[in-house]
Amino acid sequence: MSATPASVTTGASPRRARRLPRWSLPTLGFLGLAAAVALPWLVNGYVIALAATALVMAVLAMSAQLLVGWAGLSPLGQAGYLVVGAYMAARVATLTDLGPVQVLAATAAGAVAAAVTGSLAVRARGIPFLMVTFGLGELVHAAANQWAPGGSEGTHTAPVAALPGLPAMVRPGWVYLYVLACVLVIGAAVAVLVRTRFALLLRAVAAHEPRVQAAGHHTGRLLLAAYTIAGGIAGAAGALAIAVTRYVSPADAAMGVSALALAAALIGSGSMLGAGAGAVLLVAARDWVSGLLGGHGPTLLGLCFLLLAYLPRLRQASRTLRLPRRRT
Amino acid sequence: MTTALLRLAAVSHSYGARRAVDEVNVELPVGARHAIIGPNGAGKSTLLHLVAGTLRPTAGQIHYAGADISRWSAPRRARAGIARTWQHPALAHPLTAVQNVLLAVPGQRLSALRPSRSAVLAAEAALAQVGLAEHADRLAGQLAYGDQRRLEIAVTLAAQPRLLLLDEPSAGLAAGEVTQLAELIRALSADITVLLVDHNLDFVAAVADTVTVLHHGQHVATGAPAATREHPEVRRVYLGTDLPTGPAAGSVPERPAATGAGTPVLRVRHLRAGYAGASMLTGISLDVRAGRVTAVVGRNGAGKSTLLNALAGLHPTEPGTEVLLHGQPLTGWDARRRARAGLGIVPQRRRLFAGLTVGEHLNLPRPRSSRPGAVDTRQVLDLLPALAQRRQHRPHQLSGGEQQMLALARALLADPDVLLLDEPSEGLAPAIVGQLATIVTGLATAGTAVLLVEQNLALACQIAHDIAVLDRARIIRHVATADIREYPNELHDLLAVPTAAAPASG
Amino acid sequence: MGLNVLVNPYTMTALDGVAYGLLLFTIAAGLTLIVGVAGVFSMAHGTLYLAGAYLAWYLADGGWTGLALALAAAVVVGAVGGAGLAAVVRPLVDRPLGQVLATLGIAYLGADQFNQVFGAEPRSVDPPRAVAGSVALGDYQYPIYRLLFIAIGLVLVVGLFWLVERSRAGAVVRAVVADPGMAAATGLRTSAVRVGVLVGGGVLAVGAGVLGAPVIGPSPGVDTTVLAYSLIVCVVGGLGSIRGALLAALGVGQILTLGVALVPGVAAFILAAAMLVALTVRHRAALPGQPA
Repeated sequence: MSATPASVTTGASPRRARRLPRWSLPTLGFLGLAAAVALPWLVNGYVIALAATALVMAVLAMSAQLLVGWAGLSPLGQAGYLVVGAYMAARVATLTDLGPVQVLAATAAGAVAAAVTGSLAVRARGIPFLMVTFGLGELVHAAANQWAPGGSEGTHTAPVAALPGLPAMVRPGWVYLYVLACVLVIGAAVAVLVRTRFALLLRAVAAHEPRVQAAGHHTGRLLLAAYTIAGGIAGAAGALAIAVTRYVSPADAAMGVSALALAAALIGSGSMLGAGAGAVLLVAARDWVSGLLGGHGPTLLGLCFLLLAYLPRLRQASRTLRLPRRRT
Repeated sequence: MTTALLRLAAVSHSYGARRAVDEVNVELPVGARHAIIGPNGAGKSTLLHLVAGTLRPTAGQIHYAGADISRWSAPRRARAGIARTWQHPALAHPLTAVQNVLLAVPGQRLSALRPSRSAVLAAEAALAQVGLAEHADRLAGQLAYGDQRRLEIAVTLAAQPRLLLLDEPSAGLAAGEVTQLAELIRALSADITVLLVDHNLDFVAAVADTVTVLHHGQHVATGAPAATREHPEVRRVYLGTDLPTGPAAGSVPERPAATGAGTPVLRVRHLRAGYAGASMLTGISLDVRAGRVTAVVGRNGAGKSTLLNALAGLHPTEPGTEVLLHGQPLTGWDARRRARAGLGIVPQRRRLFAGLTVGEHLNLPRPRSSRPGAVDTRQVLDLLPALAQRRQHRPHQLSGGEQQMLALARALLADPDVLLLDEPSEGLAPAIVGQLATIVTGLATAGTAVLLVEQNLALACQIAHDIAVLDRARIIRHVATADIREYPNELHDLLAVPTAAAPASG
Repeated sequence: MGLNVLVNPYTMTALDGVAYGLLLFTIAAGLTLIVGVAGVFSMAHGTLYLAGAYLAWYLADGGWTGLALALAAAVVVGAVGGAGLAAVVRPLVDRPLGQVLATLGIAYLGADQFNQVFGAEPRSVDPPRAVAGSVALGDYQYPIYRLLFIAIGLVLVVGLFWLVERSRAGAVVRAVVADPGMAAATGLRTSAVRVGVLVGGGVLAVGAGVLGAPVIGPSPGVDTTVLAYSLIVCVVGGLGSIRGALLAALGVGQILTLGVALVPGVAAFILAAAMLVALTVRHRAALPGQPA
């Protein structure tokens, strides 16, 4: 009678809730892709730059979603790994202007940073996990101020080239298309990842960790692996970020970026595509709408967070995340 | 080495100063069907946790298949062939039944995009073995409670275990489901050794070849189910005394039972409450009268504690439940309002506030303003002198008896009209139980209505005026204590008390 | 002689660390109780500090009146802010993530408002003239206000300890931390305790902002920094433990001052290591599904 179930979650996973005709998803996907590719010819340079930023945030949101939607852990420090990846990409940029090389190096750097710090983070669950990852992100922020080239001023990088032999990209349209291509590749890799047995085990850990342990799996290692992969994805987002802005500073590790990624993952409620869409939505609210209103980006973002908090849709997701049972 | 698959050598586990398992020795040969029984707090579940690796022994060794596994982690033990279930089915609710089973099927790569053919076949075989083949693609969280239990067993079977640990497998199941479960376990391959903990002694008798009885963490007896039922020590553990049937007439003291006893203070009508999909209580109706002690007895796991917690507002009740205190419906009232209205609870395991001193505990409750001249701390301390010396101590520094007295004092200081007492004798020495009985009898004489939940039948019979028998989620009999002797066999059967009078097997 | 041994650059920095640690304690003590009692991880806690710091800047007149006015305003702002947060998270009971998002949203709204009203540049706050100078400690000059702040901080520590560990109110709070259900069944107003802790924590945070403004001055981003450090204090000290918060805050204060002076640049790593140790020690207790 002493033991109570760790989490009482009922009902179907939200993303299976609705059924669309078989043809609709591929068609919608194709239309969306076509629109995304055609975007540089449709809108002005400012919006293109915004769209590229939104794509970077979409990658960061996928990184957060791997933890939120699969492992059941809510990170508030993913921007830290983005910045680690961005600085690594900036470092590699002094050797080569090849974008894909920078992305690979940044992925590795983000993954290594996440593996090292993750051993700390995966000891916590629920809100303590959120607190620890938040602390880690802020520590990366502080360390970048202290150590990174350029200090708090940040550092500028040269334009990147998409492939060997091609000239470095300066026009936002080309940069946008390069980022879009990278996002599609990363998205495809993530789509494969979430269909593996590893991803199934992560979902089981989120639902009932002791059951997975009793099935012979070391859940701490599973979660650390997930955290490391998420860090790698965030690192890749960092390389894409400097491809867009050609500039990195410790401010990129600010809590706001992590919070945006987490909120986007929650908007996506269990789906990678949804997380990406959520990120695009939030960036649009923060930068585009606030541009129309003459500032107040943080206020708009704050209102988005409040709205998200009170939407009943989140009820399910946030139910699984509880404070650890206190000892009596 | 002998052919023992599992051997516990003087295994102990302490929670702080309390020894939940105290130098227990158990030996299981391959293919054994062994059960561990004992009253609440006997250390049965702790023992299972020790074997599964979710707890480590503080002393002693656990030998499994020739190796000392005492320091192994739970996943490592699982990979070595130890599978387990929990008291409440441990399943990944958002996954389908077959996905849950696939979690445990060994020999699959983490990077596999789809489970191998052999793994799927193994999972389907495990589901078929428990009779859930047609529910393979339903979400685990949407299965009925009994099906969840069977699914959990399928998960363990899919791991191809050598040792199967079952924690209260029959809890929350209907009678028919319990029979099915017993058949399922009996039909397991002889390669699988089964170690189970259960409160339902009929189920244990139907499933187990050998039984170990624990009490206060200590080994009492081991043997065949029928033989242990006869064991005098075991009967003493369950009954609290050697009395073979109900209380002798002399042991029920003369009580002024009639003083204003006509007015029921607390009326319970159609109380329904459940837990994680399992109905623990259906349609409980009960009156608790001023100046009388009403005891609710029943098997462990019958829902006695759930009943008290539901009355105190610590456990949700389902719609249709009607609880009236002084004629006032308590529907929708939280625990605080109920406490202020006059319900005091001494909960199971006392639930003292860790880190607060005895003095601070005694300062917390405020007597209800509606009744001037209510009890004060001094009066309660007069009643419970053991506490007066310990005002600066914290709960973990107190003995079990002192903890119980403190929990009682905490409830009394709010000056309750109805006192809910949950297993007050649990884990206490006989002398302390005697003191408790005196205090509770005194409280009733002073006009308090007492609702007592107790598995120590002797104590219940000694202090209660009426006895309500709880079985299969409802009250099946409510009689005056003096009349309980008219139903000795029925009562003992219900309580699963091992007596010579009861049939030897189920 | 003895004083000269005691007074060297490192002890001076360590003294700074004490001041810093006591400031962190004042902020984090509220947060740790809010998390421990109300189960609310308030992302707006740093915003309350920033509000206090801006109050101190706005009302500072170089004399005691300004400080007293600011403190009085801090009590009001803190109480209103705490009660407001309690109202915001009230519908989100049992939804910790929702609470985080809601308080985060409020933190964003607050940050934008501060930016609007007080501008983006950092403001420096001078203590009252009477304590604005410095005092000679051996060969070194040490700001008087910082010494005064240490004294006030110590008084606050003693007061908070008395309140939480000795008074009945503190016992009620700790009872709710230990077992909210049983506390309610004992007749305690658990929901009132939750609101009370949020209000108390709010007053502490805004008050710390007023008193700490000459130490950590108001500027955009300070809210996040303060939140991060007080949160590390909470994690290291253990949620809901005032004693742990004091030790952790003093430790973090030393790491951020003496640590930076001794080995520049590793402060972040020492803080991470401290969190690691704290989490490792409490690891088993925090895992769900373990028998408790």
